[in-house]
Amino acid sequence: MIVEYESKQTPIHRLDPRAKFMWVVATIIISIIWTDPVYLFGLGVFTVIIGFMGDFPWPKMKGTFMFLLIVTAIITLIQGATYLPKVVWLANPERVAFYLIPRWIPVIGPAWPLRIGGLIYGICMALKVFVVLIAISVFGYVTSPSEVVQIIVRLPFVSYKSGFVVSAASKFVPVIQMQLATLRDAERSKGVDFDSGSFTEKVKKTTSMLVPLFANALSMADTMALAMESRAFGYSKNFTLIRPYQMQASDWLMVVFSVGGLVASIVCLAVFKLGAL
Amino acid sequence: MFYLEPKIVSLKDVTFSYKGSKRQALRGVSLDVKEGECIAILGPTGAGKSTLACVINGTVPRFIEGKLTGDVVVDGQIPNNVGTAQMASRVGLVFGDPDTQLFGMTVEEDVAFGPANLGFDYETIMERITRAIEDMRLQGLEQRAPHRLSGGQKQATAIAGVYAMLPKIMVLDEPTSMLDPEGKARVFSIIRDLNKSFGMTIILIEQEVDDILELADRVFIMKSGEFVLGGTPEEVFAAVDELKEVGIRVPSIVEFGNLIGADKTPFSVEEAVSTVKSGAWNKAIVGDAPIEDRAAPGLSVGSESTQDTAPILEAVDLEFRYPLGVKALDGASLEVYPGEFVAIVGQNGAGKTTLTRHFNGLLRPSAGDIRLFGKSVLDEPTASLCATVGYVFQNPDEQLFCDTVEDELRFGPMNIGMDKDRMEESVRDILLDIGLDKYRQVWPRYLTKGERQRLALASVVAMEPEILIVDEPTTGLDWLESLQILDYLERLRKEKGKTILIITHDMNIVSLYAKRVVVMANGRVVGEGTPREVFSQPKLMELAYLRRPQIADLSDTLWGEVLLTPHEAADRLKRSSSTNREVAGK
Repeated sequence: MIVEYESKQTPIHRLDPRAKFMWVVATIIISIIWTDPVYLFGLGVFTVIIGFMGDFPWPKMKGTFMFLLIVTAIITLIQGATYLPKVVWLANPERVAFYLIPRWIPVIGPAWPLRIGGLIYGICMALKVFVVLIAISVFGYVTSPSEVVQIIVRLPFVSYKSGFVVSAASKFVPVIQMQLATLRDAERSKGVDFDSGSFTEKVKKTTSMLVPLFANALSMADTMALAMESRAFGYSKNFTLIRPYQMQASDWLMVVFSVGGLVASIVCLAVFKLGAL
Repeated sequence: MFYLEPKIVSLKDVTFSYKGSKRQALRGVSLDVKEGECIAILGPTGAGKSTLACVINGTVPRFIEGKLTGDVVVDGQIPNNVGTAQMASRVGLVFGDPDTQLFGMTVEEDVAFGPANLGFDYETIMERITRAIEDMRLQGLEQRAPHRLSGGQKQATAIAGVYAMLPKIMVLDEPTSMLDPEGKARVFSIIRDLNKSFGMTIILIEQEVDDILELADRVFIMKSGEFVLGGTPEEVFAAVDELKEVGIRVPSIVEFGNLIGADKTPFSVEEAVSTVKSGAWNKAIVGDAPIEDRAAPGLSVGSESTQDTAPILEAVDLEFRYPLGVKALDGASLEVYPGEFVAIVGQNGAGKTTLTRHFNGLLRPSAGDIRLFGKSVLDEPTASLCATVGYVFQNPDEQLFCDTVEDELRFGPMNIGMDKDRMEESVRDILLDIGLDKYRQVWPRYLTKGERQRLALASVVAMEPEILIVDEPTTGLDWLESLQILDYLERLRKEKGKTILIITHDMNIVSLYAKRVVVMANGRVVGEGTPREVFSQPKLMELAYLRRPQIADLSDTLWGEVLLTPHEAADRLKRSSSTNREVAGK
């Protein structure tokens, strides 16, 4: 589950969206290029700190984290068993940590050795997934879709209408989800049992909701368009940006920190192999 | 034609047909509105009120295509020549559903949307936001997400967004139709401020007659695309028979004034009290007032006790929390008896819908029990419960799935495995009962809102459930359509012995139809009784943010007892008058 944006007055919420954007982009790139789990863990800790500063609701991510934990555990085991990278700082990466099929199982054991090098690589992959997910979630939580629009409309050759369409579409998604849930409840109230029947029957039951769903969505979009028109949407080419973002010291600090961190990590990796396995 | 100077809106012989339709939505409408005036337009659904609103702000015919004839001049401009977006700074248009007109991620951003579109500079926009938020009493909510506000706050935000563009004219198209009593009171108070304090010209399209009485300078009644009545509220509401013919509910205070032959028609409880106390009424007329005459003909007011039998449905200490952590039910308990007509009332978020959705298994409680005929049904699936407990949703468009009216009625019975002959017989009878027989092969979407609502109700009735739960059956309907729905429910109760539960905000409907009222607040049942008993408890009403009907206020003020209809009140006046005469005679 991706955590929905919430309007708050935390230091991270208050940052200029461009600064937040730079941070999330830098974090993602660094997490991709680094392969050392120690470095990635450090990056993860920093990302979590940013999340805490933005009052991120961690409990809401519990389900997602649990799911990811299982997935990444499987990835780690598969990587550990099948791939053996060259680890610079490890004396003997080929050393077997344990066997997936232990020695005490007769006939087939021991089999599928899990080597230290592969295991470390698996952990590294799992950390990458976690860091990217946390960074994107925190960014989504502290940055409103309209701020994303503000970023888009500041791009050259992009009209504010395009940005607004993106924003309006993003707001439409939860509305459609709610509609779908209500339609489903209404069908259940008329005796439709979604749990029974063959796959084809289940599909048929679901498709009967599509006509009212689309008809309602179109009707809602029509009213929305009328309301937008009535509030002068498209009147002027010069849509005044609601927040004339001016970079403050804290924003510059975040940009410098993000860009600086990114450049430094690339240089250190290329020259000194820092961050590499 | 109604004419006043100086006029800010002038319509002369305006006719409009929607593209592809031969029917005229507006037929020779003429109207002059002077600057600073507040006019109210009433009429049944489909009368052309919303079309008229769109003609005034220019969305018809530039945005909504069709053929427009006649002269339209608004603030010195011809909207069709100027364009909608340009007209937006002159005419603000607010719709009934706030969710479709909020565009910002915060209240502040939403209010800024209009001025930002107009290209004002940042400082001007911030000034306008500050003023709009202050004047619409939204301080403290600036950074809140609009979709997390209450209904009244959302509509106030929508109005603020239009107000921030500083239009001279504000057109409000049924702005309170989706709000609970508290939200309605807030919005009407804002409209009063816009007109009386800020001098804005108001064109208010409404179904709520009680609230517009003191607000409107003039009232117009529309039917089938034309004005059939117009004038001051005194003039219009004196024409009781014409109003009833159009399907407009006559405000109970006005009807009371007419029944007692008041020298001057009262428009508020205070005025009615003053009229009675000063003796400015015709005592001879009161003597003839028929007690049984009712706004909903053929129904009787009062309680019919069915509580000497075992309850058909029980909710025992129900608790329920939505996934996002909102505790919607906090120990709610309720007993429903066979053949009852129960109204569940309370403000939005009180837990009414959440409670009733437990009765057919759409929701499952985290604690407590649901018993049907004395047996726990917590493990029964909705697909089987629905044959006994029918549930009709608020919006008909969210529960009509089939290609024809006839198939829609078959949908439920087929799912629960009803015998084919019985089903066909039931469908035939119901089509006649709800007056949709001639539309049996029509796509439900082509029906009017009132017809769709009747069809949605009938599609559940076709499954022949013992208990029928109807969630806000009158939302968005005019008075006549509301009465059709409620009359049908009452017939089902009386003739077929069905048990009826409705969720409603309309206290006039409660007065006329409910035999028992259940009041909910904060996820609990906080009170219950006959309408008379509930309306006699001001603290209970206050706790649930409810407003009792004006006639109840009047009778309570005058005689210390709660009466439910103007006729009851007129009769009470007659009796007290006779008693006084007898005392004086002795």
